[in-house]
Amino acid sequence: MIDHLFRHQYGKMVSILTRIFGLAHLQLIEDAVQDTFVMAMKTWREGVPENPEAWLTKAAKNRVLDLFRKINADQEREGKWVSGPATIALNELFLDSEIVDSQLRMIFAACNPALKPQDQIAFALKTISGFSAQEIASALLLKEETVKKRLVRARKVIASENIVFEIPTGPSLPERLHRVMEVIYLIFNEGFHSNRQEALIREELCGEALRLCKLLLTNEHTATGDAQALFALFCFHSARLRSKVNEQGQVLSLKEQDRSLWYAPLISVGYHALQKAVQSPFGIYHFEAAIAAEHVMAESYEDTNWKQILRHYEQLDILHPSTFNKLNLATVHLQLNDFEAARSLLEAIEPESLEQRAYLYHGLWAEYFLRMHLKKEGLAAMEEALAKVRNKAEREFLERKKDKLEQL
Amino acid sequence: MLIFIGEDYITMGMSPEEMQERMGRWAAWSEKMDANGIKHRGDALLAPVTRISGVERTRTDLAAAEVKELVGGYYTITVENLEKAIEVAQDYPDYDLGGYVEVREVMVFE
Repeated sequence: MIDHLFRHQYGKMVSILTRIFGLAHLQLIEDAVQDTFVMAMKTWREGVPENPEAWLTKAAKNRVLDLFRKINADQEREGKWVSGPATIALNELFLDSEIVDSQLRMIFAACNPALKPQDQIAFALKTISGFSAQEIASALLLKEETVKKRLVRARKVIASENIVFEIPTGPSLPERLHRVMEVIYLIFNEGFHSNRQEALIREELCGEALRLCKLLLTNEHTATGDAQALFALFCFHSARLRSKVNEQGQVLSLKEQDRSLWYAPLISVGYHALQKAVQSPFGIYHFEAAIAAEHVMAESYEDTNWKQILRHYEQLDILHPSTFNKLNLATVHLQLNDFEAARSLLEAIEPESLEQRAYLYHGLWAEYFLRMHLKKEGLAAMEEALAKVRNKAEREFLERKKDKLEQL
Repeated sequence: MLIFIGEDYITMGMSPEEMQERMGRWAAWSEKMDANGIKHRGDALLAPVTRISGVERTRTDLAAAEVKELVGGYYTITVENLEKAIEVAQDYPDYDLGGYVEVREVMVFE
């Protein structure tokens, strides 16, 4: 059977049923879908049906009738009847194109500005991606209780704000879409940059972000140049996911990664998306994707076109100046042996603004001194970096650099 | 007869991913028994229990959440002896969920 079939079907079924019954009944819908999966799980023990998706879809349709009865019975007591959904042609909502449409509506509901940003991510992973609270907790390094609270809060807001289950249109679309992409980007980064040693969780989060982004590309209103660029960026990054950590769980820098492990088919899908993306005005994802493309294009680390990468970072910094970007610029200047430029950028950075990632700043100073053969200064900077780093794998990475400094 | 007893899956709140994984384990077990030609039949039982008891034939409807030890299903198999049946029961997938197996010999009238 297809990997993650249940998880993906869960998201689809919850989205379709929500489209029929509305967000107000979300809890009931999620419970009903859960029941369907327990049924499938028991029924399929003796053998998976030839078309498991069709089986589940049929089960979901049967659920619609159950839910009608249940919701109407509940509302009859309050003297209200659901009449709208009765007029919907049920079969049409189960067409592939409509399923995608329902899932897109759910993404926009999850990323509704009425919800707190951290709740948006948890809610999206639950309702669209079919993660349990426990799985979300383990993926985002949170306590299960915290995730549950966020989910409850998100549901409350959705109920109290009467959030409409739709894809926004008109002038509000760009802004709403921007937030959707931001949330998907955050989910991806949780997977890609968390440097967790459990490769599986990282791959699952990146995979989910890719899938959600791909959904955006299926609708003409959401398949913008920015969305294409974001998809390209994910493809390029994901292609090298497996080479980021070695068998011992050590985080490897780009220089150390085994490029033969990079997944070529994903890179070419990324190129295809990037080609479409460049037909629209460039946003930050365009430049990030272009930078990632330069990296995956280089045959070896030495072949990296740092000059081109520098130009992309400079463009990015004009569009979206950030301390983190300055740090990236300084890194590239170091690569190009432009020590003066690297130094002046580093001097202008206030490490506090990097918060938890301040160790990167001190680590880069250490690298700078290493390249300048200044052992004492380098070691001092490294001590600062080590004092601030929290992640075990990152710490080991810095320790290895420290060894190099000591050998100066 | 191998009888499976444990908490109902729904009340355990499993994620779709966990369900798929667990289903795979059940299927593997079932296939293994089939490959050995020992399995006759099996059924999975739905959770709600309707109990009829007493001389008054009192009916009690129990929801899954009310029953911690629920008969979830069974298999009948043909093996040489009890020890072999216990061996087959080693592959029951839900021990980690607190489930257990009761092995019962089916009486055969000669």
